[in-house]
Amino acid sequence: MGTRPPTLREKRRYLLVALEPAGTAVDQKDLYYALSDATTQLWGDATAAVITPAVVASEGQFFIIRCRRGTEHELAIALSTITTCRDTRIALRMVAASGTIESLRERIRCRMSPGPDQLAPGECIFDKKTFQLSQCNGQKVDVIEKGFKNTNRLFLTREDMEEL
Amino acid sequence: MKITDACVCPYPCGDSSVRRMALEARDLGFERIVAKDVPSGEVYGIELYTGILIRDMPLRDLVNRIRREKNSHAVVSVQAGDSGFNRAVITTKGVHILRGIQSADRHAFDHVTARMAADNRVAVDIDLSPMISGRGIARQRAIHRYRDIMVLEQRFGFPLVISSHARSVLEMRSVREITGLCSLIGMDIPDVEKAFSGIDTVTTPPDAAVRVI
Repeated sequence: MGTRPPTLREKRRYLLVALEPAGTAVDQKDLYYALSDATTQLWGDATAAVITPAVVASEGQFFIIRCRRGTEHELAIALSTITTCRDTRIALRMVAASGTIESLRERIRCRMSPGPDQLAPGECIFDKKTFQLSQCNGQKVDVIEKGFKNTNRLFLTREDMEEL
Repeated sequence: MKITDACVCPYPCGDSSVRRMALEARDLGFERIVAKDVPSGEVYGIELYTGILIRDMPLRDLVNRIRREKNSHAVVSVQAGDSGFNRAVITTKGVHILRGIQSADRHAFDHVTARMAADNRVAVDIDLSPMISGRGIARQRAIHRYRDIMVLEQRFGFPLVISSHARSVLEMRSVREITGLCSLIGMDIPDVEKAFSGIDTVTTPPDAAVRVI
């Protein structure tokens, strides 16, 4: 089947979303499954078929998600119900919507921070437990509990660290 | 009017410190949060209110507890129970929010309770956590109950508050996302704006019925 002329193609919209917590490795395909599941669970098969969500690109912690034009609102609501991706706790923060992928790539370049602040790899003690420093972005600091069984992630700030 | 998340649960209930939650709330468009068991103050430009959640407590103990917290300026929320309990809670002075309606009995919040809530300026909490993380019948039930509450709210005009009940920064949602989620239960933008500032309604003392000039 040949490519349709532009006037006959279905109109699409692209959403730029940021993945949290920073530094979490999520596969594009796994995110698609989580997105598809969330959309179907919330809106049902019929509306999900109209939305036709797809993860089309990823750059670092940013993902570009495609939908049919006019269904951005429904997709944005479905995005806010995503809490896990393959048993990893995540949150997707919507950054922008656009008609072209290229403009979203520009947005990514504008928003790309120079990179997570370099933290000296080390340990800290918080609430009588030992934690490994994981991520630091501005004021935000993520730490991971050390141990064999419990490796809980805690979300702190630099000021919390100073109190340790 | 300050955009308020009416309940978040920072560390040790959750995995995020209250400062981190305040920072995240600022990024998400909030101006104030009610944090459980945290002293009030201001962090990163976000106003913090102390929140007290009371649950699984007999009415007599509950009244004593509220009396103890009378001068603490905390926002007192009580977990909803059956119809009689809810009516008693609403008429108790010092209670600001009735929460957990979505998991209470179907008849726990009827038109009589709604009128009492409006008269006593007690807010009903729209907890978004079952809509965000719930799936299937649990989410459907929550949406159904909230839609029912919205019908009563339109009729009797009791205050509403919106809370994420987040135990982690990952469970917090932006103002825009919450507006989208609230559209699922029939709330339009003015309704959501009113509910975001519902804390002001329940914490400010009512105007005196008689004013001496």
